[in-house]
Formats: sequence, structure tokens, C-alpha cells
Amino acid sequence: MKKLFSLFLVLTGLITAGLMAQQQPEQAQASKTYVIDTDVTFPPFVYANDKNKYVGIDMELIRTIAKEEGFKVKIRPIGFNAAIQSVSSGQADGMIAGMTITDERKEKFDFSTPYYSSGLVMAVSPKSKIKALTDLKGQKVAVKTGTAGADYANSIKDRYGFTTVTFDDSDNMYNDVKNGNSAACFEDSAVLSYGVKIGLALKIVTKPTNPGSYGFAVKKGHNQKLLKMFNEGLAKLKKNGKYDQIINKYTGSKAVSKKKQNAKESHTVMGLLKQNKKVFLSGLAETVKLTLISIVFATIFGILIGLLGVVPNKFAQGFSAVVIYIFRGLPLIVLALFIYNGIPSLTGNKIPAFVAGVVTLMLNEGAYIAAFVKGGIEAVDKGQMEAARSLGLPFNKAMKRVVLPQGIKIMVPSFINQFIITLKDTSILSVIGLLELTQTGKIIIARNLEGFRVWAIVAVIYLIIITILTLASKGIERRIND
Amino acid sequence: MTDLRVNVTALTKDYGSNHVLKEIDFKVADNEVVVLIGPSGSGKSTLLRCLNKLEEPTSGTIVIDGQDISNPQTDIDKARENIGMVFQHFNLFNNLSVSENIALAPVELGKMTKEEAQVKAHELLKMVGLDDKFDAMPASLSGGQKQRVAIARALAMKPDIMLFDEPTSALDPEMVGDVLKVMKELAQDGMTMVVVTHEMGFAKEVADRVVFMADGNIVEQGSPEEVFDHPQNERTKAFLDKVINI
Repeated sequence: MKKLFSLFLVLTGLITAGLMAQQQPEQAQASKTYVIDTDVTFPPFVYANDKNKYVGIDMELIRTIAKEEGFKVKIRPIGFNAAIQSVSSGQADGMIAGMTITDERKEKFDFSTPYYSSGLVMAVSPKSKIKALTDLKGQKVAVKTGTAGADYANSIKDRYGFTTVTFDDSDNMYNDVKNGNSAACFEDSAVLSYGVKIGLALKIVTKPTNPGSYGFAVKKGHNQKLLKMFNEGLAKLKKNGKYDQIINKYTGSKAVSKKKQNAKESHTVMGLLKQNKKVFLSGLAETVKLTLISIVFATIFGILIGLLGVVPNKFAQGFSAVVIYIFRGLPLIVLALFIYNGIPSLTGNKIPAFVAGVVTLMLNEGAYIAAFVKGGIEAVDKGQMEAARSLGLPFNKAMKRVVLPQGIKIMVPSFINQFIITLKDTSILSVIGLLELTQTGKIIIARNLEGFRVWAIVAVIYLIIITILTLASKGIERRIND
Repeated sequence: MTDLRVNVTALTKDYGSNHVLKEIDFKVADNEVVVLIGPSGSGKSTLLRCLNKLEEPTSGTIVIDGQDISNPQTDIDKARENIGMVFQHFNLFNNLSVSENIALAPVELGKMTKEEAQVKAHELLKMVGLDDKFDAMPASLSGGQKQRVAIARALAMKPDIMLFDEPTSALDPEMVGDVLKVMKELAQDGMTMVVVTHEMGFAKEVADRVVFMADGNIVEQGSPEEVFDHPQNERTKAFLDKVINI
């Protein structure tokens, strides 16, 4: 057990070292490179193009301004909600993600001068008879969480007598309307126009209303220099005409026809697969890496905590029970957000998303492992331990030579099960912006709105790796039982 | 007094409000074979399990071979090396072969090299009549065979005292004889033994002293003739009537 413990310490040390290593360059160049978070599922403002480059109005603006003003940016495509949290917890310096300036947000963020003004429009399915807000009485309206469209819909739903259904991304929201589950959706006019232009089967039935302004945001009271540079840069771009070029590039007719061609190429499963091969592979690699590293840590952590639960010491048993209770009880998504955003707010130290992800899985999956390690040991007949102790064997030797070998056989199926669950749970870590397989799928869909086919591809990839993982585990199981 | 192997004074054991042992005094001399009898729940197994501290006594002192094992400072693992124990349900290590069961403790505790332990295992298995099972796994043995291996396993540590906790209660009737035979031979070789059993024939034949327990007390004790043929206490008589006269 001592050996296990020192192994655990070494691995923890390695993680910490990795964390430091990733942090230091950021700190060393703090005056030059800023971490900017965004949500790459918001075309035409931010999205990944077919070469998986992050493009769009926001991306071109921030990059051009950075060049103008002589600073560097590191773009992290972590999603809208995660970006909000990582900026307010200091994990990122700023965010640009088609973010509407609202009074509520101004309490937490300082905004730049608006770089784009847009209005909200309503879209319905092509055959729908709904033409105005007054037609929505008794209907359902789809909205995307955290958007100005959602706020708008909620503010008028009582007046017009409709209810709202909330979705996490645009594709699901659009699909709900296409399928007829919802009668309409509200979205930014530029965003919806983009969708319709690339082939989204919806029609826009209202004129832009409730105009909102998009701003670049930093944490309130922080990074004022960055904010000032953004404002100065934006003013320069507006003056020298580059600003108009960028806007035209993404909303003008030229951009659209180009995109339509691209879109045509990739609306079959094979086409999608071919076009997005690199992205899928990198998402797959991230998922596999995350899974394997987490399995190693969760196993070590779980065995340690499980063993603490059976040693004849009240304190150790209590500690083990509390750890299992807490980390098995917390939903994975809450734990991930807490570790990634909560701990930095408390300590002021940034945690790379990957490390936060591994720690999350280690604690959560480890708690389950601890529970069945403890259970497996307890399932070994008490007489085995008594007989070993009666011969004069100390507890540790009796555990190691007699009880554990029998307990492990009981635990093996649970281990295999937990490894598969760990693999699947990595998908939840897309909430902290890890570009694993699920997040990859979301990003591709945001660009091409091919939800069904892309999710089918993602599902098959998951099944393939789960099959490989299961076969490998069964091989190990056979070896243990021989 | 130096030839006392076991000297228990004022031993009590409570499970909450349940008083299992009530101020027991109990002594075993060197080479003595003591058989504990009594109705179930009388505390005889608990008394036996206190002698190697598988049960933690509530109060009282337990001195084994001159060493006070009820003192928390005493190294109980060291003390247990000299106290062999045989269980009702054998408790052979299921993950180890017969010879590994026997060799585990002597080798792990540095009493023997692996080679010495192998020789010892053969010797002990011959003694219990199971040398052909040297490499067998416990799951392939019958109950009687398991119990004889368990006895061999306990003897491998060369204990001064052997404790038997209902060693034949879980056996099919035709297996009981083989196990009792081994125990008889042990007794004849001078082993100090404390045996909890319902085998009255064994008690009569082998015991130097029979101890009758009821409700956590030692009610009566003496030679087999005294206890079996001339019981003094009513409870002893009632118990013996039930067990013997069928």
C-alpha cells in the first residue's frame, strides 16, 4: 500500500509540474499575449471553417486589432457559458463571442465600445402560417440559452401567450422548429440570415427588432489596458475601412455564395467525414488521452481511498466514507465547473482545462472505484482475514496476500464498467472547453447545421473506442482469472 | 504457576447491553486438553476467540505463555504466532493452493525459507493424510480435507497452543472421524489444546478437563468422568440429557 501511495504522490507531482509548465509561458509574456475565450458555434461571428480555423467577424476583429495595437491573442474555443465563467474567474483575460451588452452583464464585466449592432428576428418553418408575434398564442418557442433572443422571448411570452423551450446550441433549436415541435425561434438577425443562406430550412418572418450591441468583455475592473487597446484598435479599423471589409466579408453576398459551394460538398456522411477528418481525429485523440490518463489516476485514487475504508482505523474509514460520499454525490458537470472555475476564484491560480478535466474525472470516477474496491474487499469472507491474522500475519500482509487477491477478482467487472463510464463521461468535460469528441461535433454542427449526420458519426466513433476498450479490459480480466 | 499456558482472570465481553462473558476465570496448564461445552450462546466460542484476541475483551486480563495479551502494548501479531487456530468454516485461503496455504505465514514472517516451508508442508500433509493434495486448490477439497489442511496450516507455525472453534460442526458426518483422529494424535503428542465442540465422545475420550459454560459463566468443570457421569449442576444435567441421550 505504501508503494501505491508513493506512486500516487509522484503522479500528482507530475500533474502539478505540467500545470506549472503550462502556466509559466502565459505569465512570462503576460504583457503581450492575452487569453481570449470564445464560442465557436456562433456563425457568422465566430465559427470553425472547413479547415477548422476559427473565423468570423469577431475573430477577424480581435486578430486585426491585436496586430494594430501590438499584442498577441490566444483564442480558446470553450463555449459561451464556459467563457463567461472563465473570464469572471480570471482564467481568461477577455472574451469575444457575439456577446450582447446588457446592464446585468455590466455588473460583472467591462465592455468595449460596441463593435456590431444587430436586431432580433423570428424564424418559422417554411410551411408555417405564423407571420407575427400575435400568431404565437398557445405555441412553443425555441430559444438558445444565454442569448439575447432567449431574454427577449422570455420578456414577451406572457404578453403574447407562448411558452419557451431552451436549447444549448443553435442546431438543436433550429431542428425543434423544423420538426414542428416549436412554432418559432428568436435569434440574432445576422446569425439567422447566415443559417438560412447556408441552407437552413427556415424562413425569417419579422424585421429586426430590439436592437442589441455586441461588445468585447473583460472582468470588471481588470485588464483595463487590454480594453483600452481594443477600443483604440476598433476606432482605427473603422477609420481606415478595414472594419467594413470584415463585416462585408461575412455578411455580404460574396461570402454567401462561397459558403454555399462548400456546404454542397459536405452533406453526406462520407463527405462530412472526409471534410472533417482532421477535426474528428484531434477530438478523438483528446478523448482517448483524457480517458486513459483519467483512468490511471482514478484507479490509483480509488484503490487508495477504498483501502482506507477497510483499514482498522476509525479516522481512515471516516475519511474514506466522506470522500466517497462527496465525489460520488456531486454531478460530474458541477464538479468540473467547480474545479475549473471555482478553485481559481478562490486561490487566484489558473488551472489548465485539461488538468481540471483529469482531476474532475479522477475524483468522480475514483469515488465510484473506491466504493467498489471497498465493497469488493468487504465481500471477501471475514474468515479469510481472521485466519490470516490468527497465524500472526499483520493486517497489511494479510490484506495483500490473502484478501486483496480475492477481492480484485470480485472487482474486475466493476473496473471494466467504470472504465467505459469514464470514457463516456469525458464528453461532459466539453463544458469546460475541452476540445474532445463531443465538443468537436458541436463545433462542426454549428458551422454546417448537419446535426443528425454529425452526431451519428460521433456516436459510431464512441462505440468503436468503447468496443476496443472493452476488448482490452476483457483480455486483462482473463489474464487475472487464469 | 509457570507451567500455565493460559491464565484468564475476570474476563468480560459485552456487545452493547448483551453480556456475553461475565467475569470469567479460566486456566489451561501445559500439555492440557480442555474441552468447552455448553448450549449455543453460552459464550464458549467468544471465550476461545478472546484467547488470541480475534475478539477484543471488554475488561479482564488474558495471559498466554506468560505474556499479557490484553495489554494494548503487547505485539498481538507476535503473540498469535504461538497460538494456532482452527475455525468451524476452515477459512482456507481460497486464492492459494494447499501447500501455499501452509507455507504462507512461516515464509512471510521469516520463520522458514521457501524450501524449508515446502518440506514442512509435505511433512504436515503426510501427518494429516493428505500429501497427495499438495498442489490442489481449496475449492477442490471436501470439508473434512479442508479442515485437516487447516490444522496443518496452523501447525506450520509450530504453536504452543491450539484453539479449535467447533472444528467438526460444518462437516458431513462421515468426515468427522478423520478430523477427530488428527486432533486425537495431536493431543497424544502433548499439544496444549482448547476445543469448543459438540462431539461429546471426543470430549470423554481425549479431554483432560471438560468445562461447561452457560449464559456467559463457567458453570461446572472437572474431569470427563466428573462432568459427564456425575454432573453437579442442574443446568449441566439438563444440557447433557439433551445432547447425549438419543
